[in-house]
Amino acid sequence: MGNLPEGKHYDSIEKGSGMDNKEYTLHLLRQMIGNEKNFRPGQWEAIEAIAIKKQRALVVQRTGWGKSLVYFLATKLLRDQGAGPTLLISPLLSLMRNQIQMAEKIGIRAHTINSVNQDEWARVEEALRIDRCDLMLISPERLNNEYFLKQVLPLISGRIGLFVVDEAHCISDWGHDFRPDYRRIVRIVQMLPRGVPVLGTTATANNRVVADVQSQLGPGLSIYRGPLVRENLRLQNIRLSSQSERLAWLAENLPKFKGSGIIYCLTVADTERVTGWLKKKGFTAEAYHAGNDGNINRSALEQAFLNNEIKILVATVALGMGFDKPDIEFVIHFQRPGSVVAYYQQVGRAGRALDKSYGILLSGNEDDDIQNYFIESAFPTSQVFQEILNVLENSEELSLDEILAKVNISKSMLEKALKLLEVDGAIGQTYNKKLLYFRTPNPWRLDEERINRVLEVRKSELAQMQAYVEYRGCLMQFLLRALDDPNPTPCGRCANCQGKGLPNVVTQGLIIEAENFLKNNQIVIQPRKQWPNGLSPNQKRIIPQEYQNAVGRSLCYYGDAGWGKLVRMGKYQDGHFSNELVEVSVHMICNLWQPDPFPTWVTSIPSTRHPHLVPEFALRLAEALQIPFYPVIRRTKEAPEQKTMQNSTMQARNVMDTICIDQIIPRGPVLLVDDIIDSGWTVTVAGYLLRKNGSGTVYPFTLAQASTRNGNA
Amino acid sequence: MIISPDSQAILLLCSHLATSSSIKHAPLTLREWNSLARKLQFLSIRPGALLEISSDELKRLLEIPEEEAKRILHLLQRGGALAIELERLASMGIHVLTRADADYPTRYKQRLKDSAPILLFYAGEKALLGQPGIAVVGSRHLDEAGHACAEFVGNACGRSGMVLYSGGAKGVDRISMNSALAARGTAVGILADSLEKAIRDSQNRAAISRGDLCLVTPYSPSAPFSVGAAMGRNKLIYTLADYAIVVASDTEKGGTWAGATEALKSKWIPVFVLNYPQMPQGNSLLLKKGAFKFPHPFPENNPNLKEWLESHSTNTKSEPMQPNLF
Repeated sequence: MGNLPEGKHYDSIEKGSGMDNKEYTLHLLRQMIGNEKNFRPGQWEAIEAIAIKKQRALVVQRTGWGKSLVYFLATKLLRDQGAGPTLLISPLLSLMRNQIQMAEKIGIRAHTINSVNQDEWARVEEALRIDRCDLMLISPERLNNEYFLKQVLPLISGRIGLFVVDEAHCISDWGHDFRPDYRRIVRIVQMLPRGVPVLGTTATANNRVVADVQSQLGPGLSIYRGPLVRENLRLQNIRLSSQSERLAWLAENLPKFKGSGIIYCLTVADTERVTGWLKKKGFTAEAYHAGNDGNINRSALEQAFLNNEIKILVATVALGMGFDKPDIEFVIHFQRPGSVVAYYQQVGRAGRALDKSYGILLSGNEDDDIQNYFIESAFPTSQVFQEILNVLENSEELSLDEILAKVNISKSMLEKALKLLEVDGAIGQTYNKKLLYFRTPNPWRLDEERINRVLEVRKSELAQMQAYVEYRGCLMQFLLRALDDPNPTPCGRCANCQGKGLPNVVTQGLIIEAENFLKNNQIVIQPRKQWPNGLSPNQKRIIPQEYQNAVGRSLCYYGDAGWGKLVRMGKYQDGHFSNELVEVSVHMICNLWQPDPFPTWVTSIPSTRHPHLVPEFALRLAEALQIPFYPVIRRTKEAPEQKTMQNSTMQARNVMDTICIDQIIPRGPVLLVDDIIDSGWTVTVAGYLLRKNGSGTVYPFTLAQASTRNGNA
Repeated sequence: MIISPDSQAILLLCSHLATSSSIKHAPLTLREWNSLARKLQFLSIRPGALLEISSDELKRLLEIPEEEAKRILHLLQRGGALAIELERLASMGIHVLTRADADYPTRYKQRLKDSAPILLFYAGEKALLGQPGIAVVGSRHLDEAGHACAEFVGNACGRSGMVLYSGGAKGVDRISMNSALAARGTAVGILADSLEKAIRDSQNRAAISRGDLCLVTPYSPSAPFSVGAAMGRNKLIYTLADYAIVVASDTEKGGTWAGATEALKSKWIPVFVLNYPQMPQGNSLLLKKGAFKFPHPFPENNPNLKEWLESHSTNTKSEPMQPNLF
């Protein structure tokens, strides 16, 4: 409760005059952020609309404006009136610690329930039970979660004092960030009785999105919109086509920044690669992405970054909304984002509390390829939807793995499809030891119009972003115009306004070093330890330790700068991998990798489609390593290309059905060679067969690793 | 799904959705709601108006004690969680009707009056509720004659465009319903078991999506089967139909017996009982209590079962319509 006497503020509420409420609220605001502070224009008006008049409001204000103050203060006023807790629906995993501390200064107790804090649920539930939770943060997905609905919501007897919809632009198909779950939020808001206040907040919504949100949340929605300009941000665009040039640029220019910063990449592989390079060059950098939550604890990374223990966070979009570090000096994009709005949001993390900060957009050759891939893979095809529904219609309920065993699509694509079907009401989910999906009786047809609309929006956003990179005028003004800022004027600070900025050329020596780094960048193949689910109902899933592969290596990412291009040429143009690839492979195996015990023989994965390509390379590699090559693995029949198998179960089954060993093989450790590793099931099955037939340790080695599947995470 | 303010208020006050057993203010019971509804009707206040009323006004208008006003206000504040739960149900294909809805079956209001359920949860074609039809009831375990009877009635309904009403459970319910649906007819199942579970059954799902089936329950859609629920539900089977046929009944115990004796006493509709030499003892006792005989072999040659039932029964009293109580 802070240092405010209990009785006084209650009186001021009871009097009910706008002035008293405002004074009291200002008092609270000062308790939170400091005695000299005042309302920003629009803050009090929004608070009044929701907490006093019980209306619906949409706040469109730049990041750092204080949107969270609005809902904290409104929550406080509503709770004083005896209302139930606020439900804050947000894609964020949790509130930032400093936000929670700020709220605590006026007695607001905020809690989170999400999939990763299960150990805290009991505590949160107890707080709800005794009415000691004033604000609860949940993700949109939770609104359809049986446990949450049946165990958590009843604890507050259903009394929700205020609905806050964070990142409200996601409601609109016209928004840059399409989230199917937000359609559920809209339906809920439409079903709310009169008198339950609703607050939508966003930092980025153009006129069309605002109008769309308004039409969906109801005509009574009042809009509070402010200027988006960031007065301390210096923007600059630099085009450097190859990755090695951009790596070199980073190494050369990062030392110019004293403070900390973020480097955004488009794919997980890129974050790892950039991080590897920066570490090699002596920077304290860490990769941040959603790809491997198990190995990388994202909240620990965030914390270390907040404490400036890490100078540079190399992140995918997983480092997203709500991350609030006031002293970020620079945000550099290693690749170009897909939309101006996304760019504005990401670059807007820089310098919230600094006088000067930098937003540098590097762009290169691969950007369009990656963006087009993201657009093309944004939605499952209608055939995929139909197959999933057919499978579900023929059974009562199925788990994700059971569906994967019957439908040949990737796990991430299946998850996307299930999410869309669920929001459409075509399927429901329930929990019985594991998450199960079932077909509902609701009719369903693919809303192709909506999908096409979303894709069209993405394509035009991409075009706008391409125009931004080329733009010669004021960069901030370009961004503000794109966001329909009411008053976009030239900033006078960006590299175009100033006519100068950081250099857009790099020292040749560093470029060569970066090229070498890319070529020598060891890519580890982690052994698979379990067979996929649903492969066969009776088969044990654990692969016995003695039949598992050892840790292996790939020379490069397929198609990448570095060796990736040579691999692609070898495979699809020349039908022959060059001697250069043999040489660098020997270099990597003998000098960088140094497997111990060293393999005593080489074998390779056969293919009937290209019967000589890999064995012929493996033979040359064996000769160069001065150990024998024995082609002991045989194809029983031609399998469909592994890359056409879209998920683990299908992939593993595809390999198992088609390779065998039917001869006596050497006992010693073996180097197992293939050209491109995708899911890893081919080498897993081959390694398993080799070990079963008496070989020693199996070291997988592939020329390249396919990298597209773990993009965009 | 758009819910009218009247229905919204009724749901907030009476439904157990998004509540737990330990809550401070329990939702209104049927009796409590009836008494409140009567007051509102007398004062010409629509239930929806309660959504925007202050605690003082509530006390003054309704002349209720402080504590009761608090409870009502507390219940009315559940709008947030209720909206979330209704959205989840709707996305599964489960919808709700309250007594204030125009689509609420008038037969319940006419025949059950104050004991008509305040809320109905349903999945499927709601227009089927209260269409001309025949109810089939009986225990889950049937002999050959009972089995054949269930099939016969279901099939006859299907072919003559009558709705087959049943409890939607295993045994006689399922047999008669399947045979009605197989004859391209329609059916209504009035459940005493979880509606959420029932719609996952692939047969049910297919019939619902064709528009041939409506499953309905007065209980929370996730509530599991209970004997009490089954007992309370029996009258909801009889009172939607024009005729009822009891296929097999125990004596002095069980849901079929209880439901049939209640129906005979209340005279909602003519009740027939399957009559054959090896019939269960309950059947003969029900016949003694005044049920009409449904013969075995069945009246196969009759083109329309409804006409046959009409000509072999006497009219039950027709009830005057009383003013609608929402």
